[in-house]
Amino acid sequence: MVAIMSAKLREKVAGFLAAAKSARSLNSKLQSLQHLKQIFSDDADTDLLSEFLPALLEFHSDSSSPVRKLVIEIVGGVGLKHVEFLPDIVPVLIAALQDSTPAVARQSGTCGMDLFRSTLVKIAIQGIYSSELDDSLKLSWVWMLKFKDEMYSLAFKPGSDGRRLVALKFVAATILLYTPDPSGSSEPPSNHSYEEKFDGFNMAWLRGGHPVLNVGDSSMEASKSLGLLLDQLRYSKGKSLNNSAMIVLINSLSEIARKRPALYGRIMPVLLALDPSSSANKGMHVLGAHYPLKNAFFACLKCSHPGAAPWRDRLVGALREMRAGDMAEEALHELCQVNGNVGYKNKAPDEEEKPSLDPVDAMDTDIRRKRSGTPDASDLAAEDDISGKRARQTPEASIDQCKSSSSAVSTSRGDGDNGPVQQLVSMFAALVAQGEKAVGSLQILISSISADLLAEVVMANMRHLPSVRPKDEELELDKELHTTYGSKDSQFKQLSSFLRDILSPSSPSPILDARPSASNNLENPKLEEQEVMTPIYNDVGGPLITETAVVTVPTDIPISSSEGVPSVNDVSLAIAPEVPDIGFPENGIPGLESSVHSYGLPETLAVSSVVGTDLEDASQDQAISLGRSSQERIPSISTDRSEELSPKAVCTDATSINSSTATSLRLPSQLVLPKMSAPVISLDGEQMDNIQKMSFMRIVEAYKHIAVAGGSQVRFSLLAYLGVALPLDVDPWKMVETHVLSDYMSHQGHELTLRVLYKLFGEAEANADFLYSTNATSVYEMFLLKVAETLRDAFPASDKSLSRLLGEVPYLPKSILKLLECLCCPGNNDKDEKAVHSGDRVTQGLSTVWSLILLRPPTRDVCLKIALQSAVHHLEEVRMKAIRLVANKLYPISSLTQNIEDYAKEMLISVTSTDKTNAVGLNLESQKEHLNASVSEGTVPKDVSSDAHQLNTCESSSLSSVSEMQRCMSLYFALCTKKHSLFREVFVVYNSMSDVARQAVHGQIPILVRTIGTSSQLLEIISDPPTGSVNLLMQVLQTLTDGTVPSPELISTIRKLYDSNLKDAQILIPVLPFLPKHEVLLLFPHLVNLPLDKFQGVITRTLQGSSQSSPVLTPGEVLIAIHKVDPERDGIPLKKVTDACNACFGQGQIFTQQVLAEVLNQLVEQIPLPMLFMRTVLQTIGAYPSLVDFIMNILSRLVSKQIWKYPKLWVGFLRCALMTKPQSFGVLLQLPPPQLENAMNKTPALKAPLVAHASQPNIQPTLPRSVLVVLGIVSDPQAASPTEKTQPQSPTAEAQPSDATAEAQPSGATEEAQPPSADGSGSEAEKSKETSTVSNM
Amino acid sequence: MTKRYAMVCSSNQNRSMEAHFVLKREGFDVASYGTGAHVKLPGPSIREPNVYEFGTPYKHMFDELRRKDPELYKRNGILPMLKRNLGVKTAPQRWQDNAADGVFDVVITFEEKVFDMVMEDLNSRDHILMKPVLVINLEVKDNHEEAATGGRLTLVLCQELEATENWVDKIDEIIFNFERQHRRKLVYSISFY
Repeated sequence: MVAIMSAKLREKVAGFLAAAKSARSLNSKLQSLQHLKQIFSDDADTDLLSEFLPALLEFHSDSSSPVRKLVIEIVGGVGLKHVEFLPDIVPVLIAALQDSTPAVARQSGTCGMDLFRSTLVKIAIQGIYSSELDDSLKLSWVWMLKFKDEMYSLAFKPGSDGRRLVALKFVAATILLYTPDPSGSSEPPSNHSYEEKFDGFNMAWLRGGHPVLNVGDSSMEASKSLGLLLDQLRYSKGKSLNNSAMIVLINSLSEIARKRPALYGRIMPVLLALDPSSSANKGMHVLGAHYPLKNAFFACLKCSHPGAAPWRDRLVGALREMRAGDMAEEALHELCQVNGNVGYKNKAPDEEEKPSLDPVDAMDTDIRRKRSGTPDASDLAAEDDISGKRARQTPEASIDQCKSSSSAVSTSRGDGDNGPVQQLVSMFAALVAQGEKAVGSLQILISSISADLLAEVVMANMRHLPSVRPKDEELELDKELHTTYGSKDSQFKQLSSFLRDILSPSSPSPILDARPSASNNLENPKLEEQEVMTPIYNDVGGPLITETAVVTVPTDIPISSSEGVPSVNDVSLAIAPEVPDIGFPENGIPGLESSVHSYGLPETLAVSSVVGTDLEDASQDQAISLGRSSQERIPSISTDRSEELSPKAVCTDATSINSSTATSLRLPSQLVLPKMSAPVISLDGEQMDNIQKMSFMRIVEAYKHIAVAGGSQVRFSLLAYLGVALPLDVDPWKMVETHVLSDYMSHQGHELTLRVLYKLFGEAEANADFLYSTNATSVYEMFLLKVAETLRDAFPASDKSLSRLLGEVPYLPKSILKLLECLCCPGNNDKDEKAVHSGDRVTQGLSTVWSLILLRPPTRDVCLKIALQSAVHHLEEVRMKAIRLVANKLYPISSLTQNIEDYAKEMLISVTSTDKTNAVGLNLESQKEHLNASVSEGTVPKDVSSDAHQLNTCESSSLSSVSEMQRCMSLYFALCTKKHSLFREVFVVYNSMSDVARQAVHGQIPILVRTIGTSSQLLEIISDPPTGSVNLLMQVLQTLTDGTVPSPELISTIRKLYDSNLKDAQILIPVLPFLPKHEVLLLFPHLVNLPLDKFQGVITRTLQGSSQSSPVLTPGEVLIAIHKVDPERDGIPLKKVTDACNACFGQGQIFTQQVLAEVLNQLVEQIPLPMLFMRTVLQTIGAYPSLVDFIMNILSRLVSKQIWKYPKLWVGFLRCALMTKPQSFGVLLQLPPPQLENAMNKTPALKAPLVAHASQPNIQPTLPRSVLVVLGIVSDPQAASPTEKTQPQSPTAEAQPSDATAEAQPSGATEEAQPPSADGSGSEAEKSKETSTVSNM
Repeated sequence: MTKRYAMVCSSNQNRSMEAHFVLKREGFDVASYGTGAHVKLPGPSIREPNVYEFGTPYKHMFDELRRKDPELYKRNGILPMLKRNLGVKTAPQRWQDNAADGVFDVVITFEEKVFDMVMEDLNSRDHILMKPVLVINLEVKDNHEEAATGGRLTLVLCQELEATENWVDKIDEIIFNFERQHRRKLVYSISFY
């Protein structure tokens, strides 16, 4: 079975090998080899290997590097399992080390490393348990040593490819293998199975008597190798080493140093000498080596082996040096040297305290760290940056920082950020050290730096208040203190008793006595800060300047010069507990004039009384709160201080004993107490929060008094800094907010808000910490929003505070923009905001937006958007305000012009698109809006502007949607008034507008056009109007000519337009009154051709004239002009002409009978007679029957003009005669007999009455006989007798038939013309009669 | 010869995940880790961060925060970030516990502290394989905007590294060029597996 298996396997291996050999492509070759690797690593036996290994090894000279690499990997794996093949394998590995491809060489090195280690372990363990070794193992070992030599030569050969890194690492690993591990077990494992694992191999297992290996020899060799490695670093100077090799070397060496403390002493000097700042070798490698070196130092520092201990201070020093170059630190260093202080500045409070003891201190902290345990320390580091803020304040953390000097962000933050601040701090220290004579310069210094910087200085100082004070110094200092201030002591007591007298009502019992003291102590941090500020505050105060400036000095001392001037320092510390007792810092001040007291008292009283009422809790609680609060604020006042205080308390009074216990209460929370004897009261989170909250509240409260006293300006920054220093969930901002908003004006809310916001902004920006910056940002937003909302709601709309605030804050978050939007566009976002918004609010919002646009260019786009949205608001009132802003103020700003234009255009175009697609929906919506609109119009009538009137004008039809259209368009129209060329777009869009939209446009045009006037741009538009805009054009023209005389340019433009493009005569109508008469007459046919309603306009226009000039035409002239129109010649339908006539007759008040008579008189003289003459006559007689005599006159003149020669007129003549019978008989009888006969034939109805008329005795005689014959009154005996009479008639008679035929055709024309005339405005009945008669003929 | 990359920041939420996201999108073989003790996300206040164990699924955090205060967490970008993250992988992983994840060729860290911790961790492991690993620190502020920038820069850097067959020989050059081009300081170190 086994045989079969192995046979199968063999076949398989052979197959893969053959495949790999014959494979063409790299991939398939690699694949086959991968299979082989699998087989060899899983279950290859010795036989199989011995058979195929040579074949496999051949591949190491394959042409492609991946194959070579893989082969090395395979044989390396084989070698690990089967030591006996090493003599075959190792030569290949050695050869591969020189491979041209670094990756292959590296692989070889890596495999070799493993092989070396495993062989070493195997040989060692075999040697331990038996005195004889396998020959094969020995041989393998020999080969491995050869490989080792090869690697060594590689490692120490100059050059810088990837092989060297592995080689160096190999050397380092060999050193580790060859040297005993002090921490590992020195007993070899008891069973052989350990062979498989070599991780925990320890050279110490060999104790001599090993056939091959010798501990001493190997140690010697390791030592030699280490020397070589160190030489690399020592002498290379960066020439033969590149960065990566350098890093590897340093890392390896530090690893060796840590793991083999015996070698620590050899390695450290070299590494320390490498320290870039301490040595002169400033090669490029130094830069690269900086970080690994730093890490190496840290790693080494952690080494707990006693052998490492002596190196620690040098390491600490070197680490510190690595931060060198920081200007601030240098300056500080110098300054401190001036002050006679040697040592490290600014590292940690305790170091500052006892610089000479620094090495001890380093040890000390190290021990402390050890006590807390390494996991703890790493946890502290791992603790992300939440604690960073506070950790910075606790001594423990600062010690840690010091230890890990260059590691932490915190240190770089501490030093880098506060560079100038630290400088200032030391400057203060230096000044203070000079005593009173420097008061003047101090004052100048303080007043010349910004409030922000000052606040930062104060905050920085707090951090540097010492937490630990050397005991041996203490006594001495106390003595010193007493001597210094002994003289003042009486003064203190005097004042304190005086104060207590005043306070006594509120503090009846000694226990309660602690209350004011505690409260004052609570005030203490604040007071200290105040004092730094006092000089400026006093600048206001006048005569007090010098005294209070003196006040500043001592309180300043502890803060700024804790390390520099130890004696003064202690003084101030001693003062601190006394302050509560006395109530005002000035009391503790040396050289203070007594006059100051009177000044100081009132304020103190106020403060302490406030405090007293605030704190009605148990005094114990207060004591805790005191301890906690001052710890928060002045974290470094801690342990030893209380010890220092207790003796002091003895010499003061009971209250200060109380306060000293209070201070001791704060000890536990500090957690770094060297003495655990102090009572420990641990506060839980909630208590701490409460205490912090209370203390901050006090400070804020105190600001109210400061505000009253003036000079709060300088202090605002401090409040902001304090707030930032507090943990966020104490929510100091809420309190500041309340303070600000409780009385925005008198608390100088604007300034304070700004300071707070800038500080928050700075925090958010500067802080790399995700959690912190996110929180600061959100606090910022909430704070600003809250203030802004309150400003909006609490102040009248005319107040400019909001706008000012928003203009000056660091940046505007979205929430604020939203607020503005709500203000400017009420109802757009939240329906429930109602009563707040009135027109004034909108104005306020808009003016804010405007000022933001002007003041904050980055917010322009957003603010502009708000303004624009407001400009299309559905409320008329809002819209008009916004439009005024946009058009008058914003539009002229060149950077905004395009945006505004685009937006307005978009809105304009939206009208055309929306009302087509969803007109219904819009209607519904806008109806609702209209309801709103009408309401608002009702409520605020004064704001309803001219637009509202337009609204009324077009309310006849779907008013709501018109207003909706106007909503969208008014902005654009407003812009048109600013930039006339925009107007063209309206014309372009007009064509695609719905009727509703057009209506809206028409509503706005008059105002717009009147505003624009006849500008050149408008003329340009007029001269070339886009298609489909004639109606609009007409309105524009009408508006332009309405009530004014149009400019000649306008008239000529219109004429040109008419002549060139637009043959539509209606555009001429508006200017008709201003055209010369002859032109009008010339144009008349075209005017007549217009639709009737337009023509009526023409009539009105021409007749009314303009205000300045008389009418162009008289009514008569108009009528005559109409008659002069020749349908055929002018190509105008006859009907148009008759309609025109009818139109004239329709206006009886203009076309009076006099006018008509006049016209007829003139017309009858014309040759030829106008075609419509008889029609007009008929209409005249129809309209004015009283004119019948005049008409008869006309008729008789027609007879004399041989009217019958005009067949059409003849018909009309006869009809007229019929109508006017019997008056017309006279005229008829004037006709020559043939015509009379014709007439009677044509209108038989005439015959009988006419005959009757003629037969009258008084008439008959006057008639010629021929007439009588025609009439049939007389028979025609002598028909031919009066030849002279018939003769002239004969041609007529002959012409008659032809006339009749000629008449037949035009009668068709009249027929055509007549029926429509029925709907003319004239006397219908008659006309229809005429029609019927004409058509009957 | 693709390399394996690891992105490491402190909580495996923002910076490392942004880079992970970007590199994954570009087809890199990439993983991401945090070195902190816990995963911390901003909470309603600085003292109340949301603390999770490594291994807590992003989905879980997402659901929980959305339940707690959707408005707040949307506003400060946490929810969008978690949403992005849960599309990249299941849960945040801790660097110090990643021994089972195999060997990386390049580790990119985004904060010096993290860099130090990675180095320390790598150095404390036994160097068995002798396989060099490049650790680069690219300092990136821990906020959303910077993380996005950092992600882009990381991509550029990794593309550069990917293009060189053997970074060991070229690393100084690559770092130098990158620093000059992007005006960012890089710190790198080499350790071994």
